[in-house]
Amino acid sequence: MLSWSPVSVVLCLVLSASAQSSIPLRATNSEKPLSERVVAYDIEARVDTQHHTIDGAEILTYRNLTGKPQDTFPFHLYQNAFQPKSTFMTEMRRNRPSFEWKEKYRASSEVKSLEVAGMGDLTSQIRFISPDDGNPDDRTVFEVKLPKAVPPGESVQFKIKFHDQLGQVLARTGYKADFIMGAQWFPKVGVWWQGAWNCHQFHASTEFFADFGTYDVRLTVRKNEVIGASGVEVSTTNNSDGTKTVAFHGEDIHDFAWTIEPQYRVFTETFHGSMGPVTIRLLIQPDHLNQVERHLRIIRQTMDHFDRWYGPYPYKQITVVDPPHYALFAGGMEYPTLITCDTVWWTPKGWHEMEEIAEHEFGHQYWYGMVATNEFEDAWLDEGINSYTEVKILSDIFGADRSGLDLWGITEGDDAQQRNSYRGVADKDPMARFAYQYMDSSSYGGITYGKTATVLLTLEKVVGEDTMRRAIHTYFLRYRFTHPTKEDFLKTVEEVSGQNLRWYFDQAVHGTAVMDYDIARASCERLDWYEKNREKEGQTTYRTMVTVHRKGDFIFPVDVLIKFDDGENVREHWDGRDRWVRYTYEKKAKLVSAEIDPEHMVRLDKDAFNNSYAAQPDSRANRKITRYWTVLVQFLSQLAAWLA
Amino acid sequence: MAEQSGILREAARRVWKSQRILWWFFFVNLVLASLSTRPLSIRLAQVTDHSLQSQRLVQGFDLGTYSELISNPDVARGSAMSESNSAIFIFLIFALFLTGGILATYLSDFKLATSQFFEACGTFFWRYARLFIFMAIVISPILFVSYELLAWSGRVIFDHGGPEKTGYWMCLATLLLTTFVMMCVRLWFDMAQVRALVEDERVMRHTLARSFRLTSSNFGSLFWLYFRISFLAWLGLLLGMWLWTRISGQRSGLSFSVFEIVLLWWLGTRLWQRASEVVWYQRHVVAAAAAVPVVETAPVPGPPTADSLPTT
Repeated sequence: MLSWSPVSVVLCLVLSASAQSSIPLRATNSEKPLSERVVAYDIEARVDTQHHTIDGAEILTYRNLTGKPQDTFPFHLYQNAFQPKSTFMTEMRRNRPSFEWKEKYRASSEVKSLEVAGMGDLTSQIRFISPDDGNPDDRTVFEVKLPKAVPPGESVQFKIKFHDQLGQVLARTGYKADFIMGAQWFPKVGVWWQGAWNCHQFHASTEFFADFGTYDVRLTVRKNEVIGASGVEVSTTNNSDGTKTVAFHGEDIHDFAWTIEPQYRVFTETFHGSMGPVTIRLLIQPDHLNQVERHLRIIRQTMDHFDRWYGPYPYKQITVVDPPHYALFAGGMEYPTLITCDTVWWTPKGWHEMEEIAEHEFGHQYWYGMVATNEFEDAWLDEGINSYTEVKILSDIFGADRSGLDLWGITEGDDAQQRNSYRGVADKDPMARFAYQYMDSSSYGGITYGKTATVLLTLEKVVGEDTMRRAIHTYFLRYRFTHPTKEDFLKTVEEVSGQNLRWYFDQAVHGTAVMDYDIARASCERLDWYEKNREKEGQTTYRTMVTVHRKGDFIFPVDVLIKFDDGENVREHWDGRDRWVRYTYEKKAKLVSAEIDPEHMVRLDKDAFNNSYAAQPDSRANRKITRYWTVLVQFLSQLAAWLA
Repeated sequence: MAEQSGILREAARRVWKSQRILWWFFFVNLVLASLSTRPLSIRLAQVTDHSLQSQRLVQGFDLGTYSELISNPDVARGSAMSESNSAIFIFLIFALFLTGGILATYLSDFKLATSQFFEACGTFFWRYARLFIFMAIVISPILFVSYELLAWSGRVIFDHGGPEKTGYWMCLATLLLTTFVMMCVRLWFDMAQVRALVEDERVMRHTLARSFRLTSSNFGSLFWLYFRISFLAWLGLLLGMWLWTRISGQRSGLSFSVFEIVLLWWLGTRLWQRASEVVWYQRHVVAAAAAVPVVETAPVPGPPTADSLPTT
């Protein structure tokens, strides 16, 4: 029998206090909850790195804030996508016919038991559903019907035991050698949104959608593993069996991801944001130690820009993961407070791809992480707005024309990369389309990322750059920690700009119209062209005619700048409603050039080369390219002649 | 070492002395390439010459603008690469045809008459064409193995999670090994070409066998000869690239000139290799044969005349 001596009581109190103090009260720099916290996940999981399995016990507390009694709950089981007959694989094969199935890709997520507090074991009630395509072989969504409904405002507690078999990394999650990316690894409840459950199957092009809440996760892994995860680390306990249990706590986030690998090198830095200090925790490959500063610098610069331009980052930590090169499919991905980057050891400084990826993935902390739009249905709202802010921030850091590449005199702006990705698929799909309904993966990429960024850049021409920044800032502050719709975004832009922009959004967001204006014709001839007398400089009158043509169906007002050789510049404004417009001038000066959109702000125009006409031909660009091609052909000819 | 340097100097002297070969080679290389890029130039002119957008390619080199340009329907309706294939093929045949004349020139060490030069070209063309086919047979498996080795090293590193740099070093090692083996093969076939010309051999498989024995028994000195010249060729290329990165993007004419000098240098070093092997053969095989009185050998080639050159 235990007797409680005064010493033992004091000891217990001290131990209890120290245990309490080791659990931080918050994972954010906010005094109060930032979101509604619909869900609270408490997960205990053991990772078997030898067999690549996860055995977990999850307690999910769900608050019914739907305003209705709920007796049916859908759950995602994303790991089941990595099976040959799944919808994900079928679509992947359709997008890439050369893709071959290998058994090592197979993954699964099995619910061993599902219990609901006060309602007993409901494992037998689990039913797989395929709400998107009716595929009976897809097991990425299941639903469970409760014997009695959960009243509005009440909570329900699910106790789920699950077993994951991870596959080799094919898309975002899985293992490769010693590396594991633990993403989409636990049964996750769907979202009650717009009056219905929103729980899509996992598709080849889609990402995720979930409710905000808290996460308390305890992962048991081998002692030698370096571990990174969403939220903040609470404690580490060494176990007697050569493992350790690391506890994490996350708040106001809607997913939880983690990664382990013994080779990671860890670097930390503190960013002082407007809501308080943020720890940047970088997990980087040993082969990439020469890029530690590059990673930290771009994250720091990105956080600084977001903080100043769009709003504060409220979390206490951002974990930046550099996956090994052989697991590149896990790279370039975002999770709440954890992102994965992608680089190679020889990346030269002028090649900004590493920075582009790091900036983009951090940007997702805002557009997806906090402004948690539905990635299944409105992918452009996260990927597209994020690509736009990526262009703006990288342009500010590196310069607009060299934000993508600045190497050996060869330059490329990030905006040009976005625009070029859109140009090839310009008329294939509207932005406002469910992500899994796009024509193919290139259309999905070109439209959701490239077109959206280009549409928003072009919108700056209408509302102004500062107004766009204010609109994005307002959108963030208004909708952070919620699930806004596309209308929420569009209305915010209209509200902040004070303009009715439906004419633009209808074409750009909801339609597939392509914008292409060209100088169809430009001529300059003497007014007395029928006379044989000679021209007299400054005395002869010329008739200049410039015909501007709207080749595409997209109607957009444009400016036209016409330059004359006496130094006069004439600026015309055309609403673009008709198919063409002709400007005629009679002046004692000759035409030098005519240019549509002289400030190059109408980035949506598909062909920039036909936007201008110079009276005097300039073949320098042509000569330059031809010369390089000539050198290349000469070189290849000599290589071939080496065989002679 | 001194003897090697002597061969290199002598070979360089002969290349320099017969530099019109080099200039002709270079000229044909340039003309063929220019002709092959002419359709591209015409298509580009339609899009760029009157467009202010093309300024972005004049001031520096904007890759985004270039990507837009080459995907322009007016430019993309022809393939610059496939248009160049014919020029590459013609230059290969041209080089094959000229080899007989070039080797005869370096062998004779005096200026051949044009008729003598082309007579040698014609005389040895089919023999060298046969050697070319043999060479294709020899290098095909080498390239296949090299490709497989690269793919295998990639698979090993990617599938089994080896260190990233190991993969690059394995690829580099494979490429270096392939380059080394290819140089050895080239050395052997160059020797066969010299031998076919000097000894007027007609059965190329026998020539190849004899050349193989000769090359392998003198491999060290021959390879060292070739390696030094190759090293200088690559050094020239790197120097040219370095210079190019320092030239303003607007001065494409200067960039072009730099690359033309590099290409001229590459042609020159290749001819230098050929001349070196001719000189080496003369000093080691022909002279040695002449020094042994009891063995009846082919006469030491003096300055060849049109009559003295082998005919088909």
